[in-house]
Amino acid sequence: MNQPVAVGEPLDTQVQRKAGRWKKHISGYLFLLPAAIIFILFLWVPITKGIIYSFYSIDFVKGNEFVGLENYKTIFNDPDVWIGVKNTLYYMFLCLVIGFWVPILFAIAISELRRFQGFVRVAAYLPNVIPAVVLYGLWRWFYDPVGPINGLLTQTGSDQIAFLTNRSWSMISLVIMETWQQFGSGMLIYLAAVLSIPRDWYEAAEIDGAGIFRRIWHITLPSIRGLVLLLFLLQLIATTQGFQSQLALLDGGPNKATLTYSLLIVKYAFTRLDYGVASALGVLMFLVLGGLALLQFKLNNKEAGKS
Amino acid sequence: MLKKNVAVMICMVMLCSILAACSGGNSGGNAKETDKPTNAATNNAGSKETDPPKEDIKDKKITISIYYPLPDQVENRKLEDDKIKRFNEVYPNVEIVKSDWHYNPSEIGIKMAANEAPTFFNTWATEAKFLQERGWVADITELWDAYPYKDQINPVLQSQFIIDGKVFGVSQKAYVTTTVVNKKLLDEKGVPVPSYDWTWDDMYNTAKAVADPKKGIAGIAPMGKGTEAGWNWTNFLFEAGGEVQNVADGKVTATFNSPAGLKALEFYNKLRWEANAIPQDWALGWGDAVGAFGQSRTAMVIAGAEGVLEQALNQGGLKPEDVLTFPMPAAEKGGKHTGVLGGDYLVINPNATKDEQDMAFRYITFDYFTDKGLESLETDIQKRQAEGKFFIPPQMNYYSPSSEYGQKAQAIFDKYDNVYKYNAESDALLDGKPEAQYNTQDYYGELTNVLQEVFSTKGADLQGLLDKSAKVVQEKFFDSIKVE
Repeated sequence: MNQPVAVGEPLDTQVQRKAGRWKKHISGYLFLLPAAIIFILFLWVPITKGIIYSFYSIDFVKGNEFVGLENYKTIFNDPDVWIGVKNTLYYMFLCLVIGFWVPILFAIAISELRRFQGFVRVAAYLPNVIPAVVLYGLWRWFYDPVGPINGLLTQTGSDQIAFLTNRSWSMISLVIMETWQQFGSGMLIYLAAVLSIPRDWYEAAEIDGAGIFRRIWHITLPSIRGLVLLLFLLQLIATTQGFQSQLALLDGGPNKATLTYSLLIVKYAFTRLDYGVASALGVLMFLVLGGLALLQFKLNNKEAGKS
Repeated sequence: MLKKNVAVMICMVMLCSILAACSGGNSGGNAKETDKPTNAATNNAGSKETDPPKEDIKDKKITISIYYPLPDQVENRKLEDDKIKRFNEVYPNVEIVKSDWHYNPSEIGIKMAANEAPTFFNTWATEAKFLQERGWVADITELWDAYPYKDQINPVLQSQFIIDGKVFGVSQKAYVTTTVVNKKLLDEKGVPVPSYDWTWDDMYNTAKAVADPKKGIAGIAPMGKGTEAGWNWTNFLFEAGGEVQNVADGKVTATFNSPAGLKALEFYNKLRWEANAIPQDWALGWGDAVGAFGQSRTAMVIAGAEGVLEQALNQGGLKPEDVLTFPMPAAEKGGKHTGVLGGDYLVINPNATKDEQDMAFRYITFDYFTDKGLESLETDIQKRQAEGKFFIPPQMNYYSPSSEYGQKAQAIFDKYDNVYKYNAESDALLDGKPEAQYNTQDYYGELTNVLQEVFSTKGADLQGLLDKSAKVVQEKFFDSIKVE
């Protein structure tokens, strides 16, 4: 694109002026340089390499071999990929149904508390700081056939539930566990938004006779609508990449019931050592996530424009 | 202005640091000697081409990184430290760097690509072909041929790492997969202990009788997660007379969907749905199953005995008389008690220089067949005795038990009451069978899906599952193999 320049200005003056501008801002650019290098080395180089590797059979010792679209053909012929996609969509759905509303509910509930608000806030956030290993151990015990949940069920005359090994339950169990651990951080974000709503709106509503539910419905929820939408998209992006608990607790089982798309990438890369196909799977995921990120960006701009 | 210049300088220093930090490793691919920052950089003697032909290796400055026990293996670390000290007394020119990276099939590719694997590392019997084909282990035939004790190394064990006449690893110890039984649980339930010459029916009846699902106690915990699930089941396949694969006419064919395979799968199906004898949360990996055994939550577990006994006696608080090591049961009376033969090996990094490989080999075999090795063994037993812990000898050692050295070691074991004694009758029945040669871990992984389906779906089509799985293994892995 052509930059507008002053008419009749000699060329060498323009060059000098440009150089002067660079010189003026050189320290600023230098400050940016480390961050740019880190981004390039640890983000853009791996992304580019991943895309290139997706067209190669990778052998780090003997050397790589160009295979064209062979890795992509492998993906489309592998039934596990479709299982992975289906499971990932199911996992995303469960995370929305089971987990998405929890932080909103807690944030609103905590904002209504008149006493112990600080304590409840910390208590709700606490599971977030539990290391993953402890979390899995803890929930293995919760879900144990003779653990507290099954103990309660048998006390009430119900049958034991195989939370982890029953295919109908395994993914749900993982989502409940993750929701318990992760809702705290979302809750803090929502809470900050809820607490920033002017109190006089509520007071006015109270004077008009609005009860707690009407206040939430007519004031709180509309006020945090933009944030809800943003976190909804961020959750979608995050859950498409879910594999950690599926790997740690069930290794994708029982019989692939928790084999997510990302876990399949991990298995291709680190169990089958087929980095080419793993890279191709990553590229396809990158395209989908790129689309979601773009959508999020647009929505964000739209919200910013409105406000 | 001064502040600005200082800021610019800081930025430049940061930039240089980042570039320096990022430029250390090799770029992957075919590593050259000059590309080895950890090993070659400290080797002042230079490459082989520049060395005088008869230069003594003791005159060269060499650095090797060694396979070092994990932080929780306190006793083993002490033993290794002692070995390092003794080794350095003989070879003061060698700098030893401790590496607590332990072999993991999902990490080895990255380790080799980044040239970060230690000079030598541990691995298992299953991995020989896999590592050799990828060029991730050094050919140490030359070093092996020059080794004076090579003929005294247990040939059954060593043969696992001899491929096409070339040697790729040194055996440490081995095992035949066994069934370890918690006798205490059987006694509490009034269940008679079967004879060592037992069958699948005996295993089934014992498991069924001792299982108490409401209390969370299983009769047997066959592994149900990860590749170990397929590995566990393969014992039954072998006992029924089946094979994982057939290698003929340059091709590998999946054969585990044979009638023998079906019989083995039917047995698993019966344990799950008829006897209800396996854990309700059956998705257990090796650590989970062995842990459940140590906590007396299952009466039987299938694994190499040493690891289970270590957990049960030294961490689970069981007494030696409470824990019995059985051979795998025979499919029928008079049948073989076949168990998968497994073992631990040490292999040398092919990216290391010749001198480093030589020194690594010397380190690996430093205590082999020496009185110092026996002294070290006895010290370990004594230390464990002082701490009230048991010493679990490997089922099979790198030396053959009938050799002079083997008898000396046995004499030490006999001296101490904290050494676990395997039952001679049981040992005599052990029938070790090496694992399949090609894509073993892939086959195990695929079989795990079959077992999970059997454990989670009552009335599953067993033959159909096996056929489908064999087709997947054949098409995904075996079809691309060309046996030369």
